[in-house]
Amino acid sequence: MSLARIAIKNVGRNRFRASLTVLGVMVAMVAFVLLRTILSAWTMGAEHAAQDRVATRHKVTFLMSLPKRYVQDISTADGVQAVTWCNWFGARLPDRDDVFFANIATDPESFLRVYDEIELPPAQREAWLQNRRGAIVGAQLARQMGWKAGDRVTLAGTIFPGDWEFTIEGVYSTKRRSIDQSTFWFHWDYLNDNADLPETMRDQVGWIVSKVDSAGRAAGIAKRIDGVFDSRDIQTLSMSERAMNTSFLGMLGALLQAVDVVSVVILVIMMLILGNTIAMSVRERTNEYGVLRAIGFRPPHIAGFVLGESAAIGLCGGVLGVLLARPMINQGVGRFMEENFTGLFPYFRLEDSDALLALGVAVVASALAGAIPAYNAGKLDVIDALRRVG
Amino acid sequence: MRDEEEPAKTLIRVEGVGKTYQRGRERLQVLKDLSLNIREGAYEALMGPSGSGKSTLLNLIAGLDNPSEGRVLVDGTDLGAMGEGKRAAWRAANVGFIFQTYNLMPVLTALENVELPLLLTKLGKSERKRRAQTALKVVGLEDRASHRPDQLSGGQQQRVAIARAIVTDPKILPIVTDPRIVVADEPTGDLDRQSADEILELLEKLNTDFGKTILMVTHDPAAADRAQVIHQLDKGALASQAAPS
Amino acid sequence: MIPVSYNVRSLTVRRATTLATGLGIALVVFVLASSQMLARGIERTMGLSGSVDKVIVMRKGADAEMSSAIETRFVNLVLAGPGIKRGGDGQPLGVGEVQLVVALERADAPDDREAAQVSNVQLRGVPDNVMAVRPQVRITQGRPAKPGTDEVIIGRRIAGEFKGLALGQSFELKKNRRGQVVGIFEAGGSSFESEVWADIETVRSSFGREGIVSSITAQLEGATRFDAFKGAIESDKQLNVQVLRERDYFEKQSENTADLVRYLGIGIVFFFSIGAMIGAMITMYGAVSARQREIGTLRALGFSRTTILSSFLLEAILLATLGGAIGALASIGMGLVEVSMMNMQTWSEIVFSFEPSPPILIGAVVTGGVMGLVGGFLPALRAARTSPVDAMRA
Ligand SMILES: Nc1ncnc2c1ncn2[C@@H]1O[C@H](COP(=O)(O)OP(=O)(O)OP(=O)(O)O)[C@@H](O)[C@H]1O
Ligand SMILES: [Mg+2]
Repeated sequence: MSLARIAIKNVGRNRFRASLTVLGVMVAMVAFVLLRTILSAWTMGAEHAAQDRVATRHKVTFLMSLPKRYVQDISTADGVQAVTWCNWFGARLPDRDDVFFANIATDPESFLRVYDEIELPPAQREAWLQNRRGAIVGAQLARQMGWKAGDRVTLAGTIFPGDWEFTIEGVYSTKRRSIDQSTFWFHWDYLNDNADLPETMRDQVGWIVSKVDSAGRAAGIAKRIDGVFDSRDIQTLSMSERAMNTSFLGMLGALLQAVDVVSVVILVIMMLILGNTIAMSVRERTNEYGVLRAIGFRPPHIAGFVLGESAAIGLCGGVLGVLLARPMINQGVGRFMEENFTGLFPYFRLEDSDALLALGVAVVASALAGAIPAYNAGKLDVIDALRRVG
Repeated sequence: MRDEEEPAKTLIRVEGVGKTYQRGRERLQVLKDLSLNIREGAYEALMGPSGSGKSTLLNLIAGLDNPSEGRVLVDGTDLGAMGEGKRAAWRAANVGFIFQTYNLMPVLTALENVELPLLLTKLGKSERKRRAQTALKVVGLEDRASHRPDQLSGGQQQRVAIARAIVTDPKILPIVTDPRIVVADEPTGDLDRQSADEILELLEKLNTDFGKTILMVTHDPAAADRAQVIHQLDKGALASQAAPS
Repeated sequence: MIPVSYNVRSLTVRRATTLATGLGIALVVFVLASSQMLARGIERTMGLSGSVDKVIVMRKGADAEMSSAIETRFVNLVLAGPGIKRGGDGQPLGVGEVQLVVALERADAPDDREAAQVSNVQLRGVPDNVMAVRPQVRITQGRPAKPGTDEVIIGRRIAGEFKGLALGQSFELKKNRRGQVVGIFEAGGSSFESEVWADIETVRSSFGREGIVSSITAQLEGATRFDAFKGAIESDKQLNVQVLRERDYFEKQSENTADLVRYLGIGIVFFFSIGAMIGAMITMYGAVSARQREIGTLRALGFSRTTILSSFLLEAILLATLGGAIGALASIGMGLVEVSMMNMQTWSEIVFSFEPSPPILIGAVVTGGVMGLVGGFLPALRAARTSPVDAMRA
């Protein structure tokens, strides 16, 4: 027997109440873990974004494009290894208002060089390069839409009116999380060579992406690129991919903050539930604590019993909560989010580090919740406590 | 010194002790200028009407509380001069408690209850267990070691409490601490005659075989008769002090 | 009936427990009310921007003004449609506008390039007669922009939020061309208050939008004329446009964002309320077991099971409603808070506020009460089942 054992035994004393409390802590932890996952899934874009890529866009508005020749100008800049370009196509599947996915025109050859984390079977890669009407889709999107290589897809243009026919030549996955798996990529030439394209829209690119030789130099190179066009009519805004994603997150800042605050609120609720239970136990056991004090245990011992009890319940609830949240997020909610809110949450998974963090938080929060009752139990007057009949 | 002329030295000295409780604006004087000496190895009883201050006095002697006036000296040490932490350690080493309502931990087995005070010593796990078992044997409950208090009768529970009070005794097994005083507040108050007698036998055994100094508060004249001296307390003062008739 | 004062007293005696439980419920109700208030704020802000007796015309298939383009020569054709109201000068009350978003740096962003917090702000190119079509807009500081110049006016909610968006300052439209802020306007709390308004020609020439407008907004003679107008305009294949009521359009613009906030709020509150109900349950079980003897006595005196059940239920509901009321009251305070958020539809920032409303607040308090009811039910049942004999002995 040890002091810790007594604390644990005390937990089992009012089994029903302890179970209810563990349940409460568990529910709170599930909510906490879910909220943290939302946060980290949201910020993941920025965290995993490549630092060795620089995106260049129109300085004033993303609605306007850049002349195609800018690609050439950037490729000669010092530190730039490869350059590709993209156009937001914004087409929809006809008669499928419920689905939305990004579809982007790019130059396949340079695209695959700049986005070297893209994994595509060599045969599919070759087929895509060869077929001007070919497209590749992310594994996620393919799963969602039931597409496979060889399928024909027609998209209805919005920015570029008309029906556009494609053959899916490949399904890609990625080595890193720096690019999502739910985009539809196709040949820029197919778009640009279209006869109906108004002359003002020809040889225009939405944005340019360059791979730079070292992540550390990205900021400097971005600045240099903008310098190149400073004297031109159309100026540019270049940022590393990470800076751009961070910037985007900044626009969601209020929502992120709200989720952050709310995840703390749930901890407070959890502490209230747990603290209440512990305070009730202490009240019921006042007499016992008096006896322990009489036979020589000191206030820190008593406080230790109470804290130990609190932490034990917290740990139980925390472990159960994480164990429950894991499959719930990774198999249930996460799948749903990835499929239905791809844009916001390309990856919605509970990371091991988050799970561990949650456990730590549960224990610390429980100890804090037990702190006031523990303090009160410790400073009980021995005589008073003894006089109180249990 | 006077002590030297006597067969045993005075262990507990209560010198002009007063105790006042402040209840709101009301001041309640529970003990008034009370003095009392108890020799080492004595077995004395404290009697008196309810509310006369018996438990209060016992608590002062056991180092649970501080007197408002006067001093309580045990073996020459002034309990009032010690800090709270030091007094707790002193209690652990010198005093065994027996309460009217037994006050065992309901979640612990008899053996674990007895072992409880040993957690405050430096003894190892197996050694603690051995001593607790020996103490249980002294009170005749070795076969109930794994029972929880609610599985024991009142008398058995009180015997567990006695085992707990003496478990740190070096005469049971040689150890560092030596609770020389056992304070018992109405130890038989909740028991029938037969169980009460068993408990009283045990207390006598503690006194004679282990040399414990025992101070017992009781309302039971039969219990008090076993003591060597009976102190009568009335309204916070000693009314009389006599050997049992 | 057991007097309510008995329950009130029991709640005050167990003060710490009552407080912890009440506070838990208050927090849940606070989060619930706040999220609903924000969703309502988003809808109201957007809804206020449109009215039912105005129409907005965009290119077919465009789901926002930003992605729509109509040739300028069609503007007069559309405004000549049936049911469009005419002003004092006999001209139709309608405007063709160009709408864009521009990247601006937040006012509080550091100058460091990599940490730059660039955000999108809506820029609207408006013709001279815009105030006639949007009478809710009022200049509150500075003066109106002079037509045909690069002067702009800005909505009061973004004033000071971005670099260059303050009276007397300027921001870049294109190279060597800056929009000069000369006035700040108010627009009855609508989303226009998060926009920058410039002369339509300035916007066209700065952003290569010559010859087109994004949308046409016009005042109908009455809300009932909508169908006639829509029928006439949409049947004209040459125009290739769609017609929406302005209110419907703006409400749709807020749909995604408001839904996100609303469902996120409800989802979170779902978990929270389970927690709070468990809290209430623990507290009420505690209350019941602490009063076991009393209950036994009451039963012995002849109080029925139902009376005891309802007494404890009442206590739980009382506790929860009290907590709920505190939470709802606190959430009203959120009404003072304005949040700047991206509208998912336009990728640009709009400033919203929390809008309290009696249904939201009452609903939140009732939800709190229900949590008490659910959490208190099992404990109350246990109390009602107490056998008087057992309880007295306990
Ligand atoms: N902590 C306290 N605060 C206020 N009054 C107290 C306190 N402790 C004891 N008293 C009062 O002191 C008086 C003596 O109490 P005490 O417990 O010593 O009596 P007792 O002689 O042991 O009585 P009993 O035989 O009923 O146990 C009582 O009137 C009691 O109300
Ligand atoms: Mg007493």
